[in-house]
Amino acid sequence: MSAHGNEVANSTWLRAVMMAGMIFTVGIIGFGVLGVGIADQKHHTWEDEHHHYEDAKSEWKDAVAAGTIDGDDHDSELYIAKEEAHNSEIAAHLSYLTYRTAGVTMLFLAGAYASFIGIGGFLNASKPKGDDHHDDHHGEHEEHHGSASPIIFAFGIMVFLMGLPDFIVACKAMLDETATAELGMLAVSVSGLAIIVIAVSNWWFEDLPFIGHGEQIATSYPFEGDHIRKVGLWVFIMSEIMVFATFFSSYLRMRTEWCTKWAFENSNGGFDGCRSEDDWVLTASDYLRPGGAKLDGFGESVGDFWTLLPGGINTFALIISSYTIVLALKTAKNTNWEAPKGFMGKLMPTRKAAVRNYLIATLMLGSLFIVLKLVEWSHLVAEGFTIGTVQGSIFYIATGAHGLHVFIGLVIMLYLVFKADTVGYDEDNAQGIEYFGLYWHFVDLAWVVIFPAFYLY
Amino acid sequence: MGEHANLYMGKDIYFWNFIVLMVFTLFEVGAVFFETVPGTEIAISRSVVWAILIVVGIVKGYGIAAFFMHLRDEHKWFNITFMFPWIFVALMLWGIGLSNPEGVTGLPSWCTPDWSYATER
Repeated sequence: MSAHGNEVANSTWLRAVMMAGMIFTVGIIGFGVLGVGIADQKHHTWEDEHHHYEDAKSEWKDAVAAGTIDGDDHDSELYIAKEEAHNSEIAAHLSYLTYRTAGVTMLFLAGAYASFIGIGGFLNASKPKGDDHHDDHHGEHEEHHGSASPIIFAFGIMVFLMGLPDFIVACKAMLDETATAELGMLAVSVSGLAIIVIAVSNWWFEDLPFIGHGEQIATSYPFEGDHIRKVGLWVFIMSEIMVFATFFSSYLRMRTEWCTKWAFENSNGGFDGCRSEDDWVLTASDYLRPGGAKLDGFGESVGDFWTLLPGGINTFALIISSYTIVLALKTAKNTNWEAPKGFMGKLMPTRKAAVRNYLIATLMLGSLFIVLKLVEWSHLVAEGFTIGTVQGSIFYIATGAHGLHVFIGLVIMLYLVFKADTVGYDEDNAQGIEYFGLYWHFVDLAWVVIFPAFYLY
Repeated sequence: MGEHANLYMGKDIYFWNFIVLMVFTLFEVGAVFFETVPGTEIAISRSVVWAILIVVGIVKGYGIAAFFMHLRDEHKWFNITFMFPWIFVALMLWGIGLSNPEGVTGLPSWCTPDWSYATER
């Protein structure tokens, strides 16, 4: 999309830099409060619980060694005390991980948002202002020319992915004190990231002045008269459906062969390779849903209301965010919009503010999704459900791919918020929200399949 | 998006779609969470849960695609574009996902990769 509206002043782009500063500040505060302040307290509690557990375990071991109690006696007081201490230690550890991961994720998200909007704003503010020649020919001479930004963006992704294996190895080496990191290994991926940021900022530069004139229209059957962007987006969604279908069919293929508790209990005595509880394999849902096969020392399922809660909240967060983006679009298109009364009226005194605030609400709900997703992952990894197993691999790849889609959507939404706050959306240029909304609804649609398949089944 | 201007009990179709999605999600999570029908001792079998998950998933998927993505009001080619990949989805589910245990190894040799590495690791 090229600029077809009024030129946007360079100073407008500086607001993006200011916005980046605000977002990063929120991230630092979030990290400070959750990831450092509360997490440190939780860490102390975890250490205390760990010591209690070690003491209880030693007592139990000594008693077993002395022959006072039978090691297999799960009703002895010492065994019960040991397992209760163990459960308390795990609960304290997970509680610590919740705050630590939430804080770190907030910082990461804020950093990523600030990088995109800040660097983009700075680059665009630094660009020389276009000559007035373009504006003088506003009207019939508006060219329907495309943009090079998407292809540059795609090239950046290609370069980034080419360097990704080295990038991961170098990052792991930097985190692992026993290994030495080679900074050169980061070069290719970082170059890719730089190209991505430049392409995205240029894309935004071209789109920001767009006020609804000069939308490219398809001229041939079967989409004659439709916006090319809309058609392109639907074709993109078509390809995305197939991407997620590969994850889902792979999962189903493996899942139907696994000896899960669910399969065992529904096969009247099991099947070959699945004749006893020892054969059971654990899926993510065994850790998360009530009655799952992951058991604690008392033989009780570790899955309960609290373990399912992050996934549940995320499901509602995505549905609500789908509705808020619809409200943003509806408001932008509503020429008879009136400010609501009461508290909502103060939040949304004008149509422009209402559109922006609905988009901010969507952004916050999407960010909540990412935070809770990583909190949940940290719990699963801590409990032993790692990517090193087949069950873990398909779970993390599928839910990770979905999370990546959410994250990419959030970066785009960040720009929509910026545009809503500066140029604004109305009935003429609201298609930006509409087409983004299609993508966002698709992300919600994918979750409709992923959530029951991976979390509940 | 002004396609759904009709109001039902003072609210538009997007609002009611949102409510339906929320209620069905509650229903979905509840089906997994409760091992018996609340207030009774009637056990909820795995098969029932499985059926509920599929039915609720279809209803929610329809609600999102038809109303939020407003496919219901688009011309047929957008609907065809959306439905087209589901042919491959169905093929993948049928040919790979539900073909246990022959789905991969039972395919003709010309389209079966060498899986020995998977068993030798």
